[in-house]
Amino acid sequence: MRLIMIMLVITLILSYPLGLIDIGVWAKVGVNIAKFLPELGVRWDLVGDALIASYETLIISLLGVSGGTLIAYILAPLASPLIVPPRVALVGRMTANAIRTVPAILWAILFVILVGPGPKAGALALIIYTSGYLAKFFYESLEAISREHYDSLRVIGLRGLPLAFALYSHAKRYIISNVLFMLEYNVRTATILGFVGAGGIGYYIMNYLGMLNYQATLTFVIFTLLLVVAIDLVSYIARLRV
Amino acid sequence: MPEPSAGHAVELNDVFFSYGSTRILSGVNLKVGYGEAIAIMGRSGVGKTTLLKIIAGILKPEKGYVRVLGCITNTGCFNSLRGRIAYIPQNLGLVEGESALYNVLLAKAPSKPLRFMAGLWGRDDLSEALEALRMVGLDGKAKSRVDRLSGGERQRVAIARAILQRAEILLADEPVSNLDLDTAEDIAKLMVGLKSKGLTIIAVMHDKWLTSKYFDKIYLLDGGILREAV
Ligand SMILES: Nc1ncnc2c1ncn2[C@@H]1O[C@H](COP(=O)(O)OP(=O)(O)OP(=O)(O)O)[C@@H](O)[C@H]1O
Ligand SMILES: [Mg+2]
Repeated sequence: MRLIMIMLVITLILSYPLGLIDIGVWAKVGVNIAKFLPELGVRWDLVGDALIASYETLIISLLGVSGGTLIAYILAPLASPLIVPPRVALVGRMTANAIRTVPAILWAILFVILVGPGPKAGALALIIYTSGYLAKFFYESLEAISREHYDSLRVIGLRGLPLAFALYSHAKRYIISNVLFMLEYNVRTATILGFVGAGGIGYYIMNYLGMLNYQATLTFVIFTLLLVVAIDLVSYIARLRV
Repeated sequence: MPEPSAGHAVELNDVFFSYGSTRILSGVNLKVGYGEAIAIMGRSGVGKTTLLKIIAGILKPEKGYVRVLGCITNTGCFNSLRGRIAYIPQNLGLVEGESALYNVLLAKAPSKPLRFMAGLWGRDDLSEALEALRMVGLDGKAKSRVDRLSGGERQRVAIARAILQRAEILLADEPVSNLDLDTAEDIAKLMVGLKSKGLTIIAVMHDKWLTSKYFDKIYLLDGGILREAV
């Protein structure tokens, strides 16, 4: 396949200047693994902290999804020419896209500045980011609905937000699937947000890593992975049910 | 409420319509009295669906005018009619994955938007919707998802929605085309029976026998012109 050949060439050309194609680098990786492995272990005394931090991360992620979905539900119709005049839709669309352009971590930094460090900032960052992301999916789902369905709803006399809600119900599966995707995304992102002080488990990971305390770091990393796997499982089961 | 004028529920006067440079309708005239049931027939692709959409106000005539319930389409008067016209497209316009009841209750969404959006219907709304379902013979299927209903049952859901809407004009695009003969006759009978509730019915039909048995008048669309068949 041509694509594979192109990717191979790009990989080789770009990794050389980075020093990735160098036996010395890989030898050092081996030495480091050998050095750290014996030091690894779990700090059982920190499990309580890890549980609380995981819980905080979970709350941040869930709030991000619930708040973000609510905002997107209202924002998407304002970005759809099927519901509002084209000029308004353009503004709505630009708003949704602008929100999405700013990565979640930058929103987190902004909210740490605005409301101070902690889970408040993380939750607000994810609510905003999720709303921008879902708004795009939602307005696309409105537009994907067949003209006939749209017409028959218009003739009934539906306009504005109620019309959007009726159109949403045509796209229920697609919408639920994207909300679940954002849940999976948010749990991962909420972990990182702690690095900038926006609460959750990432705060501990960064601090212990900074202290070169690998056992404590590993303890929190394990809980992060457990949380991610648990959410993916919930999401998987939910998908099977819709 | 606009006054019914000139004694016609629907009136088309010299209506022209084109998609781009392709002329579909070239001077269609039609008068449908209140409480009449008329059928529109014609070969595939002649513009029957297009004509129905023009009557529903979905498409604008390029020339001529359409008057429905006393209002010229695409005017403020016509926009205030919304809800008094029911349009059942060929694909029925049902929300797949939702129940028959949900689909019927959509008729009430414009007048009760908050209840609709919250999904919290009042007892009276529900009993009215169930009554509409009973009238089309679907009382036992209120909770069934419409995508799991048969073709005839789906058509009945669409009709029940029009009933709950208290529509005065029913526009139906090939309501019986994909049904077996017996079911088709049941549906035609049911639909035309709504005349007794004061409904005016305009349906695109294919079956000559069924059409002449149940409808008051039959029109043939051909070459962009509508003429009454005899
Ligand atoms: N949106 C559109 N843009 C361009 N051409 C269209 C559009 N919709 C329909 N047409 C064309 O206009 C003609 C009339 O279409 P219409 O759907 O009204 O026919 P019909 O009589 O309902 O046919 P059928 O019996 O197959 O449903 C067809 O040739 C069709 O291809
Ligand atoms: Mg057609």
